[in-house]
Amino acid sequence: MLDFFDVFLVQQLLNGLAQGLVYALIAIGFTLIFGVLNVVNFAHGEIYMLGAFAGLLAIQLLAPPAFAVLLLVAAAGLVLGVLLERVAFRPFRRFNDEASLKSKALREATLLSSLAISIITRELMQLYVGADMQSIPQAYLLMTPIQLGPLSIASGQVLIFVTALLMFLLLQWLLFRTRLGLSIRAVSNNRLGALHVGINVNHIIIATFAIGSLMGAVSGIVVGLYSGNIFPQMGFSPGIKAFVAMVMGGLDSIPGAVISAIVLGLCEALSTDFVSQGWSELISYGLLLITLLYFPRGLFGKKVERV
Amino acid sequence: MLLAVLWLLLGWLDASYLYRLASMALVFGLLAASANLITGVAGMMTLGHAAFYGVGAYTSALLSSQYQFSPWLTLPLAGVTAALLGGLTAWLTRRLVNVHFAVATLGIGQAVYVTLLNWVDFTRGPMGITDIAPLSTASPAINLGLVMLVFLLCYLVLERTVHSYYGNALRALREDEQCVAAMGLDPAKLKIQVMVLGCFIAGLAGALWAYSTRYVSPGDFRFSESITILAMVVIGGLGSLPGAIMGALLLTLLPELLRSLGDYRMLVVGSIMFGFIMFLPKGLIGEYSALRVFRSHLKALEQS
Repeated sequence: MLDFFDVFLVQQLLNGLAQGLVYALIAIGFTLIFGVLNVVNFAHGEIYMLGAFAGLLAIQLLAPPAFAVLLLVAAAGLVLGVLLERVAFRPFRRFNDEASLKSKALREATLLSSLAISIITRELMQLYVGADMQSIPQAYLLMTPIQLGPLSIASGQVLIFVTALLMFLLLQWLLFRTRLGLSIRAVSNNRLGALHVGINVNHIIIATFAIGSLMGAVSGIVVGLYSGNIFPQMGFSPGIKAFVAMVMGGLDSIPGAVISAIVLGLCEALSTDFVSQGWSELISYGLLLITLLYFPRGLFGKKVERV
Repeated sequence: MLLAVLWLLLGWLDASYLYRLASMALVFGLLAASANLITGVAGMMTLGHAAFYGVGAYTSALLSSQYQFSPWLTLPLAGVTAALLGGLTAWLTRRLVNVHFAVATLGIGQAVYVTLLNWVDFTRGPMGITDIAPLSTASPAINLGLVMLVFLLCYLVLERTVHSYYGNALRALREDEQCVAAMGLDPAKLKIQVMVLGCFIAGLAGALWAYSTRYVSPGDFRFSESITILAMVVIGGLGSLPGAIMGALLLTLLPELLRSLGDYRMLVVGSIMFGFIMFLPKGLIGEYSALRVFRSHLKALEQS
């Protein structure tokens, strides 16, 4: 099979896949939170960044085995998610009537407050640790190449692949096989209805934030372990890409977001064959605009009856 | 009255050495006022305003440094280029609402930034364009006066637009698009008109920026600038024109006054924005009170 393809091309595709999965990891949590609250959580990229830093801190202080680092980061993400919800989202959920649920002003206020929180977090981190890249200790780096015939894959890429798959499957299990998942889906479908059937909407929203942020934080440290350097601005660009993937996937479809994220990663990797690195950024924005114009419901969004 | 206060303030600044600061405040005032028209009055959340500002700045910078066009030609041309891009954006996104429109403008903003950064042959990439001629060769005071003149003109245009029946139509567009369509107005047309006007003024502001700093680089037109502009509008109160100007003054002058803080600029911006959203969601001068002032003013004029 490989004879048909240029080895370089396949290698490029693999790298693109890994990059796309990085976006997918962030997009999963992003989409989960959007699905429940119907507002964009701009601070998700910062959770991702903080997750990476929490991992670094854990490594520097305790030097635990790699698996324990992941667990610690997951716990940190959980706490951060609850905190974020408390600070930036709860104050705007004082009212539960239909008018304020549909109110544009409240939704925009939430969007802006998460944006403000994300700026504050990023700047504080920058002041505290400096804008420079922090490097992960060599022992934890996952850069060991694995040879597959003529191809080589870094072990970090394997980890990214495994994490993305695990997270995706776990989330699907959680959403469709557990009671909590049922409540989350109920709240995301109709918050008032969920309230009426006796679901504690506040708890469910907090739980969603905790789960989504846990995923964001874990993806941060996984990417940090793979790329080897973490810095306060690291959440911004992948955050935007994940955002693009979410919109392309149809805003509330997690599988759609994952597929779109992989498509984005592949397109970016392939485009570097033709244009320089800088221009490849343009590809995803172009794709975003095309999706918005021709598939306003996203590529995998729910079909909505048109009036 | 507010205009008079602004004038007095500028007169005071005029006397001091703060020309650069004053023109920066004016440029951001224009940006915030135009973003207020788009986001505050017409309710189209734009996350890419810096792109139109950047297009204006680059148009005038390139035309004046490469082709030696006079500022009186490049100023309107910068506005027109930005307005064209804005109109195109609005035409493309005319059916998108809420968060979709915000995402689309974010995408366009980033696309413009990436283009400015990477089209090295044309825009000189990250090095930026240096040696832009000043507005006029006369004293800096006259240059500042010219900037003030353009600012006032734009302010008047915006004021007449926002506080008119047309402005009310835009407010209706913000509240309920279907309702506007049912009243016999074309929402798509309104959106395009608003974007054209708003982006024209943003382009003008960009040109003024290029002439007053005499140096432009892509870094000035990043996503964070769009956010800063949005924060100015939020601080002043969404939909309130004097509020937008106040917000711009606050967010340009405060970091300068606290110069010793240095790197804290974005932190200050973020914290102020968060504080206002949390505790003063109507902004410094809310839309309602701003409208009331203008309307009572009009009534007084009618009676006299």
